[in-house]
Amino acid sequence: MLRRHRNLFYYAVDCLKKYKTRTIVVLAVFTIAVSMLSSVLFLKDGLEREAELSVSLAPDITVEYLKGGRILLLPASYVEKASKIEGVERVVPRIWGYAGIGLNTYTVIGLDLSRLPNYYELSALVERGRFLLPEDSGRGSIVIGQLIAGVLKVDVGDTIILLSESIEAHRFTVVGIFSAESTIYTADLIVMPIEDARAFFRIPEDYVTDMMVYVDPEFPVDNVAAKLSLLPNARVITQDLLLRGYKAAYAARGGFFVTMWAILLAAVALVSFSQATIVGRESRFEVGLLKTFGFTTLDIIEIRLIESLILGLFSASLGITIGIIYDVVFKAPLFAEALLGWAFLPAEFRLPVYVSFASVFAIYSVTVLPLLFATVVPAWLNAITDPELAMRRAAA
Amino acid sequence: MKKLYLLPLAALILTIFVLAFAAYSEQEWKAERPPEDITFRETLGLPSIAMGTNYGATRNPLLEVYCTSLYDMPGGYCYIYSASFLGTPLKDPVFRAAIPGFNLTAQKS
Repeated sequence: MLRRHRNLFYYAVDCLKKYKTRTIVVLAVFTIAVSMLSSVLFLKDGLEREAELSVSLAPDITVEYLKGGRILLLPASYVEKASKIEGVERVVPRIWGYAGIGLNTYTVIGLDLSRLPNYYELSALVERGRFLLPEDSGRGSIVIGQLIAGVLKVDVGDTIILLSESIEAHRFTVVGIFSAESTIYTADLIVMPIEDARAFFRIPEDYVTDMMVYVDPEFPVDNVAAKLSLLPNARVITQDLLLRGYKAAYAARGGFFVTMWAILLAAVALVSFSQATIVGRESRFEVGLLKTFGFTTLDIIEIRLIESLILGLFSASLGITIGIIYDVVFKAPLFAEALLGWAFLPAEFRLPVYVSFASVFAIYSVTVLPLLFATVVPAWLNAITDPELAMRRAAA
Repeated sequence: MKKLYLLPLAALILTIFVLAFAAYSEQEWKAERPPEDITFRETLGLPSIAMGTNYGATRNPLLEVYCTSLYDMPGGYCYIYSASFLGTPLKDPVFRAAIPGFNLTAQKS
């Protein structure tokens, strides 16, 4: 019994050589399509996972100040008001904004150094130099991401000059550069003491950009958010809302991928079907001959199944491997740009690549399965025809 | 071994490699992040990841919809600048030269 299957396997492998043109066409089409698709898919999955991680670590509630539908600076008095609300564990005021250097815009974050949770943990993120110390307040010390360090070619101890919206040149001294491992979050960051950020953005003493509210785990976040909403002009954003925003954003992006998958599926099925039809005449004669020699319909289907399985698995696996190498080693130079729209990925950016089982099996299922159907169905139709008739038709 | 059997053998090896890499990747993403990374993200509280953009709308262009649905969220990075391909006074060298003490570059220590 096993020997029979082994012989059928050998025969199927031999068929791959016999129908060389079909083998090469299917291999080439599948490999190219799968490598493109897998590259984009793994990259998208990685970016999504990384973004979700960031949202999950965002504060429980963020409070902004809204007036006339516009977001304005938040009065610092709100920090104290929010702290008094039942269920609020901690309130951290924040000053942040953007600064332009050359053609790019970078994110400036002002940190209240007296409230830092764990200095030693944060300093582990700095590759060169050190992280900010409470003594740095008001001295113009900054820690920058690898992207900015690379663009400006600066190192620890160097000075950079940033232009504020008030058309003022501000000098800052680089005291540290974030590590390469953290670039996905820090590449475009300029972190400075909150006092320096206040001076840079010219934010008055009794105002902040927004505040982060951390809720006591024993209290429901929504209850605390409802109470915070009673503060006049407060715009209350919970972490859950952020997550829903992300899901809406990725769902919109997902439409693009669904279209791509549908096109790929149709193309692959068409190519396989056309190849099965091209070799159909020769194959019909062969099937007739095999049946005359005593092969059953099931044997013939098994031969075609083995052929398709080898072709599909090889081309899909090769395509996925190329996709992984393209993302991990070459940082997906073309597809990443198509995927990210207006984005630019600097050389310093560590691309997050996530090769999930779900994606891998999805790729196999949209490549191997259509190929199996597209080749097995014509084989079955040939196999159920009378052998003599099949050979006569093929010879005609 | 016959040359003919290289294809099924290669198919098997490549499939095993792909599945092994997927297992490795799953494991890597499931693994706990370094505590310093978590502390830092919690400290800054930015939901967005650092991806540059040529378009003056978001820090992370994957989140255009996010930006428009939630407006100016912290980390949503909806800000008002003319897009770089249109040019702005900030990018005009004549404008830059007019600002005392400002050269948009760095100074070596």
